[in-house]
Amino acid sequence: MLVARGLLLFLICFPHPPHPLSLIPHPLKMSQSTIGIAKRSQLPTKLMTISGIIFIIMAILPLFLGSFQVSLLSKLLLFGALAVSLDLVWGFTGILSFAHGVFFTLGGYAMAYYLKLNLAAEGNTYGVDLPDFMVWNGLTELPWFIAPLKYFPLAAIAMVAVPAIFAYLIGWFIFRSKVSGVYITIITLAISSALTTFFISQQAYTGGTNGITDVSRLSIFGIDIPLNGLYWMILLFTTFVLVGSYWLTQSNFGLILRSIKENENRISYLGYDVASFKIFIWTLSAGIAGITGGLFVPLNRFISPVYLAVAFGTQVVIWVAIGGRGTLIGPVIAAILLGQIQNYAERVTQDWQLVVGILLLIVVLFIPDGLVGSVSKFFDKAKKQ
Amino acid sequence: MKPILSVKDLQVVFSGFKALKGVTLEVGDREIVTIIGPNGAGKSTLLDAIVSKSPVAAGKVYFQGKNITNKNPYEIARMGIGRKFQNPNVYNELTVFENLLLSLKGDHGIFDSITAKLTKKKRDKIIDVLEIIGLLNYAATPVASLSHGQKQWVEIGMVIAQDPTLVLLDEPTAGMTPEETHATGEIIKSLAQNHSVVAIEHDMEFVKQIAERIIVLHQGEKLAEGSVQEIQNNPQVIEVYLGREKIDVDVAART
Repeated sequence: MLVARGLLLFLICFPHPPHPLSLIPHPLKMSQSTIGIAKRSQLPTKLMTISGIIFIIMAILPLFLGSFQVSLLSKLLLFGALAVSLDLVWGFTGILSFAHGVFFTLGGYAMAYYLKLNLAAEGNTYGVDLPDFMVWNGLTELPWFIAPLKYFPLAAIAMVAVPAIFAYLIGWFIFRSKVSGVYITIITLAISSALTTFFISQQAYTGGTNGITDVSRLSIFGIDIPLNGLYWMILLFTTFVLVGSYWLTQSNFGLILRSIKENENRISYLGYDVASFKIFIWTLSAGIAGITGGLFVPLNRFISPVYLAVAFGTQVVIWVAIGGRGTLIGPVIAAILLGQIQNYAERVTQDWQLVVGILLLIVVLFIPDGLVGSVSKFFDKAKKQ
Repeated sequence: MKPILSVKDLQVVFSGFKALKGVTLEVGDREIVTIIGPNGAGKSTLLDAIVSKSPVAAGKVYFQGKNITNKNPYEIARMGIGRKFQNPNVYNELTVFENLLLSLKGDHGIFDSITAKLTKKKRDKIIDVLEIIGLLNYAATPVASLSHGQKQWVEIGMVIAQDPTLVLLDEPTAGMTPEETHATGEIIKSLAQNHSVVAIEHDMEFVKQIAERIIVLHQGEKLAEGSVQEIQNNPQVIEVYLGREKIDVDVAART
């Protein structure tokens, strides 16, 4: 909860990272020469300082927490990064996707194969150099398409490349053929369901419903990574995703994404190839989601089709909706808060999803801008008065 | 002189309905062509077909000698055709400045747009446009909070910022006061010093102000073409359009 409080503090101190162009002083008050100076180079120092402090607090936090809490916090940070990846396509570009759980899981499987094969090499219960679920299903040797994942660099590449290439192919078809709006969303639902069924049916290769379980601890080139090390990797990754997304959305590129969201036809008459922008952000977002999934597996110690299913994809959508679309930090806060709420609610009742459901209803009905969106609007109004 | 735009026997069909039944026209370099005609004559459809907003069923569109029929809208825009839509088609959630920034020439690829910097040149260009459309004091204002007339000007500004060879304007003065309309006319005239302009208009005063050549469309066909004088004295035009316009004006004056 300390973290949540820290982040809330951050929110209150700096509700809304202003767009550099909105920082343009009003020309009536300022001389003409200052109109429209982009302030990317002079990021608000307040924002930088507060972010830096939060980062340091987050970095030393695991030294004071038990391993359960560190592990939980790591997972929640990853969920935050996953939510940011969805925010890029939904909050900024207006493409509502339920398939981000799929990209997450594809990255997760890549890492899970690496960890599982790592374990198999140490000698497993059956005395064969093969993961247990493959032995159960009568495979006698490692399939050629899984074998390369034994090597960490290849597994790391696959963790990004598999979901990104998959997303690129889907994106190419749906965005080039000008499918838009709710139809994209329906397609993402279908992809999520289809892949779930596919992974369950390919038991010999994917471990079926159980997925890949009992994976080894993460070790890279023979060096074991302790839990705190993993936490720091995840913290760095999440920070990088947040800062990178902020930088990206503050550029002209971000402006174009927002325009596509408001009216994608108009901007094509200004000379922008809308489909290529959509495919790019969609693929990038899937790549981020893939890494998130890959980092999640060593914490979770298993990956299964549960994360491919629509229910998980919906959870990502809920984080973004509650945190505030297009705010980047909002989805991270929502993922961490809801994760903590779930953690406590689970101890009290089995029906913790009911709690989340009620929260979602409240947000959709009363604060459609989400937590961060509403707070920043409130401060904008207060400033004007 | 070679025409900038040449439209040959253009046909547009909407689920069986022929909106354009073979229209042919040419626009010269730095010429202002005004298109008039009753509602449903196919004026907007003609502009839509030129920029590939509506699919061309038959006929050809050539721009600077190149066939652009049914090309991608963004490719047509990059070649140098700018379009202002009938209802102001601007970005309400962005500021006036941002709307113009988006419209500027160049930096239209993905990586260009990520690395693009707001150079002094670009800023000066935007300030110039803001001055032309009289919205310098609204640079940082979200477009959503502007009036209808101001939004029209934002969109005209977007077209100017785009700096296209050919400017297509669909009712640029709709919803403007007579003073605003006149000011817009002057903007368009100065625009024509460097650009070719095709404008759709209803307001005959405005047409007289800007027009060099008028094309009258009626039921998807070209009814007449000529100078303001010729059009005003054309009996067919008076029958289907100008006469009706007069009646409209009378009715409007009485009410």
